[in-house]
Amino acid sequence: MKQKLLLLSALLLLLLNSVTAQYNTLWIPDTLSGTSFNLNIKDTFRQIVAAGQQTITGGINGNFWGPTLFVNKGDTVHMNVKNYLNDSTTLHWHGMHLPAVMDGGPHQVIPPGSTWKPYWMVSNNAATYWYHPHLHETTEAQITKGIGGLIIVRDAIESALALPRKYGVDDIPLILTDRDFSTSNQFQVVPYGDSMLTNGTLRAQYNVPAQVLRFRILNGAIERSYNIGFSDNRTFYVITSDGGLLNAPVAVTKYLLHAGERIEILVNCNGQNGTTVFMKAFNSLLGNSIAGGENFPNGPFANALGKIDFNILKLNIVAPTTSPITAIPTSLASVTTIPTSSAQTTRYLTMSDSAGVPGVLGPNAFILNHKLFSLNVIDYQVPLNNTEIWQITNSTAFGHPFHIHDVEFNIISVNGVAPDASQAGWKDVVFVPGAIGGGPGTQGTPSVVKFIAKFDDYADALHPFMFHCHISLHEDEGMMGQFVVTNPTVVSTLSLHEDELEVYPNPAKDKVFIQFKDPANTAYYVRLLNTLGRTVLLLPQPQLGEGIDISNLSKGVYYLLVTDQLKKKTVTKSFVIE
Amino acid sequence: MMKRFFWAYSILALVLLSFSNDKLRESPSCIQDFCLKGIDNKIFNTKSNNAKGYIVVFTCNHCPFAKLYTKRLNELNRIYSKQGVPLLAINSMDSVLYEEETYTLMQERAKKEGYQFLYLQDASQSVVKLFGANHTPQAFIIWKENNKWLIKYNGAIDDNGQHPEKAVPYVAQSLRQLLACKPVLQHKTESFGCRIMLRK
Repeated sequence: MKQKLLLLSALLLLLLNSVTAQYNTLWIPDTLSGTSFNLNIKDTFRQIVAAGQQTITGGINGNFWGPTLFVNKGDTVHMNVKNYLNDSTTLHWHGMHLPAVMDGGPHQVIPPGSTWKPYWMVSNNAATYWYHPHLHETTEAQITKGIGGLIIVRDAIESALALPRKYGVDDIPLILTDRDFSTSNQFQVVPYGDSMLTNGTLRAQYNVPAQVLRFRILNGAIERSYNIGFSDNRTFYVITSDGGLLNAPVAVTKYLLHAGERIEILVNCNGQNGTTVFMKAFNSLLGNSIAGGENFPNGPFANALGKIDFNILKLNIVAPTTSPITAIPTSLASVTTIPTSSAQTTRYLTMSDSAGVPGVLGPNAFILNHKLFSLNVIDYQVPLNNTEIWQITNSTAFGHPFHIHDVEFNIISVNGVAPDASQAGWKDVVFVPGAIGGGPGTQGTPSVVKFIAKFDDYADALHPFMFHCHISLHEDEGMMGQFVVTNPTVVSTLSLHEDELEVYPNPAKDKVFIQFKDPANTAYYVRLLNTLGRTVLLLPQPQLGEGIDISNLSKGVYYLLVTDQLKKKTVTKSFVIE
Repeated sequence: MMKRFFWAYSILALVLLSFSNDKLRESPSCIQDFCLKGIDNKIFNTKSNNAKGYIVVFTCNHCPFAKLYTKRLNELNRIYSKQGVPLLAINSMDSVLYEEETYTLMQERAKKEGYQFLYLQDASQSVVKLFGANHTPQAFIIWKENNKWLIKYNGAIDDNGQHPEKAVPYVAQSLRQLLACKPVLQHKTESFGCRIMLRK
């Protein structure tokens, strides 16, 4: 009997080994660089599961995650985002400091078939950022499809450092997600998946050179946090927080990365040629107030990766490259945080369950400031150039990664404790822990997080920026708010008359121009529609001097809906393309 | 205590999920006659034909996954129309919102790709509601019994879009069973592809 059991165990082990040993080469997203980027969002499919049916996905240019965009600080970048989906979408530039009308939040909707052309001057520090859909109530479904990608900002400070930057060789992007597959290999829109997907690759492995490696890691999951470490418990070095380099590399053996957050890390693989190590998520160590630390036996949150350790990437260490980076730098950048004494305003936000709040989903939804998000309600008016402390009190039993658009901030404290060195730089997501000692029937002591940010450069009374929980499910459900950055100039109540601007030539061929009679005025927003009412072009703050390129449009009558900068009023002008 | 926490969270999850996802439409067991305009400008009516049944495939112009099936649809139509079960391809996408699905572009696509089957436009989206279809491509087999159209199969055309040579041909299998007067063994498979959004 004993022998039979042993034999059975051995067979099971062999079987397990053969199943888990089938690794797939990590897919590395393509790259685009320069100052003009064409991004085509489309329905598509991809062979993700090795055998059987392809998985229906969404793609930008490709078929799961879009290209990595390399941009330089100081450059003005122009995005041509065409929506080929048969549904509306938006594309948000997560972490980027830019005008709200270019931000790609829920208000900057791109209807099917239209092209949205935002542009902005890159003022962010060198680090890893990302882009993803942000259409209210649809974000989870569209991110699940794989619509999104990385943005890598380069600047002079980062470029001067001896850091690995051979993309895909010693500088490796890792987008972490997990997905659930149906019996037909189709994605299920659920908060937690059963299968880890690293850059869209199941059971990923990658050959890496025996030298210092840089990984740019994005938590692109719907909900799960990843407690990142290595199978040999080696020390690795965190060099960035979300929005820039840290003062110096921070040595850690684990790093807990929440939804929406990014870090770049250095891993010393010098002299390890011929060996193997696993990057893993040590999620068995997480408490059940952290996403992925729960272990639900059944129900919609049950998943095979809950509260266990699992592999993110198998690293097969091979021969070093020529002129490898072999040392971890001792210092990086000089982070000058915003002094708390400079704050002009403190705002108090709450995260709570919705018990007793009328009009919300039920007793157990998570909400911000005791209400559900409404597209028509502006929660805060932030004066331009204001420095503000935002204090978030979380009385729910669950921790939430809080993200704010427009700014990078400095964490002041989490439950009264200053952030450790790995979080002491620029951030755009902060994890707000669940109430301490909270649970069913027990309120617990609410957690309190404070951060400080300066709201400079871009004022716009019409288009708001968002703040929200970056667990897409919670965000879609309404755990979100919005603010406008305003300057003190009085908004005119005057109307805009048709004769205050001219559209020429008419008929037009390759370009059409808009000329305001008042030289101080310009266009705030231009929308081009065809005679059937379909939106063709969406142009936030177009540079009118260059004209509007219509060379790709078919002949016919078109309508320009022009909103002006001074009065923020809209007039419609028709013209003909011939 | 822990169990109660899980229970409470699971209920919460159900509440949240039921709000966060568009619900898939359910299909009935039988449908009434319908008529639609084909790309040949003629009105097709299920009533005025003597077919035993129809292979009804919801498809469209833009969906890359649906596009993989053109040859297979031609082949299904070639084989089974002779046996009294022609194939109807129906485009129910919102052509008001989405230009690529307009009638003219349907005609162009059918010509370019050599569609050998009827390609019908469900401009009012009434037929997609009748079937409870959700995706392109999504196949149905409807069968005439006692002057009713019974839905005998609903789901994927087969189980491998990109590699037809490896695929289990669900629709063809079900048709063979029906034509042999045998019960359909697999009457439903998962439907997936590009979502057919209803105009509000």
